[in-house]
Amino acid sequence: MAIDSQRSSRLSTPGVDHPAHYRKRARVGDALGIALWLTSAFAVALFLFSGGTARFGSVADAVTSVGIATGLVGTNLVLAMLLLAARVPFIDHAIGHDRAIAVHRALGKPAFFLLLGHGVILLIGYGLSSGLDPIAEIGPMLAIPDMLLAILAIALLAVVIVSSAALVRRRYSYETWHLMHLLSYAAVLASVPHQLSIGSVLSPFSFERVYWLALYILAFGAILTHRLAEPLVSSLRHRLRVERMEPEAPGVVSIYLSGRRLRSLESVGGQFFVWRFWTAGTWWHSHPISLSSVATDTQLRITVRDLGGGSRSISSVPAGTRVWFEGPYGIFTDAGRTAPKLAIVVAGIGITPVRAMLEDSVLKPGEATILLRASTIDDTFLWGEIEELARQKGVAVTTMIGPRARTGPGWMTQADADRGLTLLGVFPDLLASDLYLCGPTSWLNVVEADARAAGIPDHQIHAERFDW
Amino acid sequence: MRARATVVGAVGSAAILAIAWQVGSSIDASNGGPSGAGASATAKPAASAASSGSFTGASENTRYGSVQVKIVVAGGKITDVVPVHLTDRGGRSVQLSNRAAPILRAEVLKSQSAKVASVGGATYTTDAYLLSLQSALDQAGL
Repeated sequence: MAIDSQRSSRLSTPGVDHPAHYRKRARVGDALGIALWLTSAFAVALFLFSGGTARFGSVADAVTSVGIATGLVGTNLVLAMLLLAARVPFIDHAIGHDRAIAVHRALGKPAFFLLLGHGVILLIGYGLSSGLDPIAEIGPMLAIPDMLLAILAIALLAVVIVSSAALVRRRYSYETWHLMHLLSYAAVLASVPHQLSIGSVLSPFSFERVYWLALYILAFGAILTHRLAEPLVSSLRHRLRVERMEPEAPGVVSIYLSGRRLRSLESVGGQFFVWRFWTAGTWWHSHPISLSSVATDTQLRITVRDLGGGSRSISSVPAGTRVWFEGPYGIFTDAGRTAPKLAIVVAGIGITPVRAMLEDSVLKPGEATILLRASTIDDTFLWGEIEELARQKGVAVTTMIGPRARTGPGWMTQADADRGLTLLGVFPDLLASDLYLCGPTSWLNVVEADARAAGIPDHQIHAERFDW
Repeated sequence: MRARATVVGAVGSAAILAIAWQVGSSIDASNGGPSGAGASATAKPAASAASSGSFTGASENTRYGSVQVKIVVAGGKITDVVPVHLTDRGGRSVQLSNRAAPILRAEVLKSQSAKVASVGGATYTTDAYLLSLQSALDQAGL
């Protein structure tokens, strides 16, 4: 009897071991981080192999050597940034697209300042060895072949870095910013000739040169494969077109896309694609939008809020419009889970990935709790679908409708704040839960701060910010 | 990235740098560093005690390429030093050797020997230049 009951209880709870799965992903993430450290050290090692102590014999030599080393490390970081922005599936599955881009951003300034420092330090080192001050050394330095290209490279990189600073970036549309960002490819390539021709570290036919060029091939190969070739081939192969539009609420429509062999995309509920709708007004603009239900082999659905962009708006494109896409991306999915329980807080259009994720999740009864948040009754679109899925999967649903509270926790309604409701009140198991948050940035930040204050570890928070 | 991974990365990086430093230093020592004797500096005893003519020195290898000089001797005096080949591995190396060669030539003509001061910033070029010069002087019997 005892054995039987044990067996039956094991059979009835086949749930995924999320913490174990997370540890596996975290190890890959750690390995990527360690690889960044070791390749940076190895870049300096390439230089040290040719001389070691002898490269630091005099002050001039030592300064020059430091200048060369900063250039090698800076370039290694820039190539790592390219790899992180390449949307390589292996990296996306391990740390997620968001995290990859966050690391990419964090590396930007250090890489730039290392490369700028590389130029300035070498100017000082060269000056010391020829008895000139750094300003006077500029002339002789520019006389070295390929130096003008190197100067062009750092200037282009400066444009890219400045245009990506938060304050500046806001002033441009995404498309304008993206065009400026593409200059970084030109910058990286323009810097290659001087690396190969000026120094003696990467001399022809040496192991050092082969290794170094292999890094370039890896980085640019990843970009060309995953940002250009693969999306293009995928778009042509699946022949996606707009099938029909269905209004969900005032200003909110579901767009049904039809195509072929869509299961082979292996998209998972909660993931997003970057879409491009081929009409005269919309083709130049790409939109990152999550699926709002799990893909079938012939149909995808996305749900968008129309912010009234006129003919530019994708919610008014005619049926039959050809659609290109990149993706699927992201781990705002069941695969991103880290903890035994699941807590979901969504507001407004943020409901779309959660709707698809819920459909695609294996959940034990009582494992998950959802809080649906809306300002007005108009924002309760897709709630019916969520409630139906919740009923099937034994998920508890709480709803909250009304404007944001002015006193108390700003993410809930005034009525709930007044009766002393807290995040832990809604989710008693919060600290043992993954918290999936999706909604407008300003609202989401408040929820996230509240959750952190309650003591939930960083890796258990999964946030997707929706601003359109 | 977890703290433990950062530690592993940092320690591993330090190890790579330490190993590379050691390897680089020992390779440099075995190849004959800037002040080490060039292996090919064959100082043959003077075959002919000629006091006039031109004599080409041995080719000296450095990390930045080989160096070889030719001297012109007239009446037992060095009247010119002509570089046959100078360090040329990389644009910076070319720039340095082109700067060092005229200075070395002037110094050698003044002192009439290979015992001249090194040109700052061009240690490898200087050392190889003077070794090749010495082998040319030996041939000239000077």
